[in-house]
Amino acid sequence: MSQKKLAFVFPPFASDYPDDPFNNLTGFDDCFRKYLSRAAEFADPDLINFEIPIKTYLDDELKTQYISYIQACSLVSWFRQKEIIPAYCAGYSMGIYAALFQAEVISFLDGLVLIRQAFNEIKKVTKKQDFGMCIIIGLNMDDMNEMISREKLNLKVAIQNSVCSFSISGTAEDILKITEYAQKEGALSTRVLNVSIPYHSFFLQDTETGFTEFVNQMQFRSPKMPIISLVDQEILLEEHALKNEVVRNLFTSLNWYKTQLYLQELGVTRFVECGSGRGIVKNARFIEGDTVTLTANSFTAFLDKK
Amino acid sequence: MALITENTKKEVTDIVFNFFADECEVDIKDIHNDTNIINDIDGDSLMFLELIEIFKKKYNLDIELKTIGKYSVKHPVQTIGQLIDMQLLIIEHENKLLELDH
Repeated sequence: MSQKKLAFVFPPFASDYPDDPFNNLTGFDDCFRKYLSRAAEFADPDLINFEIPIKTYLDDELKTQYISYIQACSLVSWFRQKEIIPAYCAGYSMGIYAALFQAEVISFLDGLVLIRQAFNEIKKVTKKQDFGMCIIIGLNMDDMNEMISREKLNLKVAIQNSVCSFSISGTAEDILKITEYAQKEGALSTRVLNVSIPYHSFFLQDTETGFTEFVNQMQFRSPKMPIISLVDQEILLEEHALKNEVVRNLFTSLNWYKTQLYLQELGVTRFVECGSGRGIVKNARFIEGDTVTLTANSFTAFLDKK
Repeated sequence: MALITENTKKEVTDIVFNFFADECEVDIKDIHNDTNIINDIDGDSLMFLELIEIFKKKYNLDIELKTIGKYSVKHPVQTIGQLIDMQLLIIEHENKLLELDH
């Protein structure tokens, strides 16, 4: 059964794990353990000890990325077994690698390789300074840019999530400052993220050469379904475009708000967040349009009722 | 400025109670005016924002989010009752909300 007008969205790494995020997915745990075991053999033996809520690696950015990717790929596999294939897919932030797996552009193990290499390239260019990220909700893009410019902050809007929600990247010192300024400016919510990397900003521009060389050595297959770019909302079909997206994803600002609207224009009426969290589901409430965004767990419950 | 009637108060109260019962997956009977939104029912700031959007649409309100944000700094909301009171003030005063502090 091909689910037209259905899009799978792959979230970035988790900042928290709910207790039982996949309890409606019969047999999912076996599927996840299989992928986890392969990842532990290939990438990091410690991964095999992952266990919600006992050991989640939330303070280890690389392992957290691995786990989110493994969960996403397990979901892809589980849904494939049920013959549920989306019409489109997109990777929010570091979810790009799982989107490539969904579209069968790369293998599961190649995704792990890309995650590790990207992380290594990033570490090379960020070791001299402390960086961070935060989320600011309740101000608009003009407010954000005006505040960054006025206060001469070494920051960049990394992701626009909706008209009033932004992820900001930059130096750790200025990340703290902007949360204070934003509250005075009238932001309804500010939160410093538990990351030390200024993703999707020019601070990572120097990863371009090394990561391009690495990515160009890898084999990318033609996608089995359209992947939508969060950088410019183009449909990625060619190998060159897909590789370019993987590279620029690290240092170019993303726009999830425009991406979700564009997917609506393409006829998508249902979005499924393929991860353990609910960040994309929550954010969807602030994106106009007559669509439904569900967690994988809720989506499965919805299908079971039909 | 909108006139706040008993009917408006009841409508706002019903919407807020039903919203949190649904979002936080708790029985509506367990929600009271002194229920702490974050500590008691695991609510978050996005829910507050969503409620604002619901009321903006329902009452066709002219208010900027940052006006509410600035007001919230001086008048933080912790309980359901405080949230209902603030929503009523937003409906009543819209973008003139901050003038209440002058």
